[in-house]
Amino acid sequence: MFKRILLAYDGSQGADRALAAGLDLAKMHGAELWALGVQERLPRFSGTIDEVQEEKQYSNQRYGKLLNAARAKAQEAGLELKTILRPGHPAQTIVEVAREGKFDLVLVGHSGLSGVWAAFLGTTAEKVSRHAPCSVLIVR
Amino acid sequence: MEHVWIITTAWIGLALLASLISIRIGISVALVEIFLGFVAGNLGAHFGTAIFQPNAWVNFLAGFGSVVLTFLAGAEIDPESFRRQLKPSLAIGIISFLLPFLGAMAYTYYISGWNLQAAQIAGIALSTTSMAVVYAVMVETGLNETELGKLILTACFITDLGTVLALGLIFAHYDYWLVIFVVVTAAALWRLPSICRWVFAQWGGRVSEPEIKFIFLVLSVLGALAVTARSEAVLPAYLFGMVIAGLFVHDKVVIHRMRAIVFAMLTPFFFLKAGTLVSLPALIAGFGLLVILFFVKMVAKIVGVWPMCRIFRMPRRESHYTTLMMATGLTFGSIASLFGFNYGYIDQAQYSILVTVVIASAVIPTIIAQVFFQPREVGLGKRVAIEYFGTAEHFLHSEE
Repeated sequence: MFKRILLAYDGSQGADRALAAGLDLAKMHGAELWALGVQERLPRFSGTIDEVQEEKQYSNQRYGKLLNAARAKAQEAGLELKTILRPGHPAQTIVEVAREGKFDLVLVGHSGLSGVWAAFLGTTAEKVSRHAPCSVLIVR
Repeated sequence: MEHVWIITTAWIGLALLASLISIRIGISVALVEIFLGFVAGNLGAHFGTAIFQPNAWVNFLAGFGSVVLTFLAGAEIDPESFRRQLKPSLAIGIISFLLPFLGAMAYTYYISGWNLQAAQIAGIALSTTSMAVVYAVMVETGLNETELGKLILTACFITDLGTVLALGLIFAHYDYWLVIFVVVTAAALWRLPSICRWVFAQWGGRVSEPEIKFIFLVLSVLGALAVTARSEAVLPAYLFGMVIAGLFVHDKVVIHRMRAIVFAMLTPFFFLKAGTLVSLPALIAGFGLLVILFFVKMVAKIVGVWPMCRIFRMPRRESHYTTLMMATGLTFGSIASLFGFNYGYIDQAQYSILVTVVIASAVIPTIIAQVFFQPREVGLGKRVAIEYFGTAEHFLHSEE
């Protein structure tokens, strides 16, 4: 049923659970599994280019390690995990990539936001489920 | 002596808090520092404490910070893009400086009744463009790697060059000191790339950082000459950065070390000081003028930059985007305003209004551009087969 699965991955516990679910689903459906790391919180309205470059480099290293670890887990499970790294707003970027890559399933981990914050801001998972062009599985 | 340490604790504590907030919310540390400086300065004034009133050593660190910031900004030029996009970047960059400069100067002089020097400072502060704000926006979409992105960044560079030239030349005293300053600066700029190359090769990479001290020495010598000629130290700093930009392309280590010094000890004092001098009562009293000056800057940028983009056959959406990006401002606007305040050309109320307009221009056009006019060939509307979107750095950290 699913041929291309996109996993939103930020290294959190929720994302790790989503990775485990993604590996199972990819095996079950013989699907391609992709992991997307979204580099949020790069400095906006910056005073110097140096600040943006340094923060981007720091974020590249951090996400590089996270995606690498996810790839190693997939390898252990006998699957290939392809990775994508993009800066931007998490929910918006996940939806864009899902649309551009013609994915038919997006996997997101349930966030650890408190009830109050989630009520005000909404979670990334909620936003993705509202706007994604394909099915979305929120893994708890 | 104890008092010095109390003041140091307060300022460095504020700088640390700014870093933590910036990391948490994803807003630049410069903007957070200005805001915290504003809050601390106004609270200090309200409760009658002088702890956040800039003193001699804070002024020195802030002043040196502004010079080094300008140097780093000058070193950001990409000579190759500049050569390739010479005509459009020159035309857009010059008009983006000239019209807002004349517009803001005319409004504050003829309508607001500011004196000529204050109006000139207003013109310079509001003519600026923020290459860093633009760059930060573009990195999110990958636009900085496209020809359009490089054109906008190069045009920003030209606008900022106009700003530092205006700042350095309008208020200079036209006497023999200015001649000495111009001759020495020209000779230094001519010889400095090869001298720096030699210094970096000979003494680079040592723990005592001789190459960074050499750069600071050059900035100090040229700054001293500039100030003696009643010009501004940021002018030679920007030009010095420009001429050795190519060197930094190959020597990333020096620039990383410089950044560590600058971000830890210099720029926090500059931006915090810029914030402490913004007076809340002055903002409330001058709110109407603040809004008007913001629109003067926006209208002048639109009237100047948009037609120029169309002349160079830029598509409509990209022209809107470029215009809004060229309407941003932050660091150079703050530097120009602080220069005016330090030399007594503007008072604190005028300074407060100018800095706030500059900050508003960092935020409002950026958001409008991102939400409504993001170019279609990159970012949101892009329809391409997914390949590998990671950056080179990411690739280097992968095991495969």
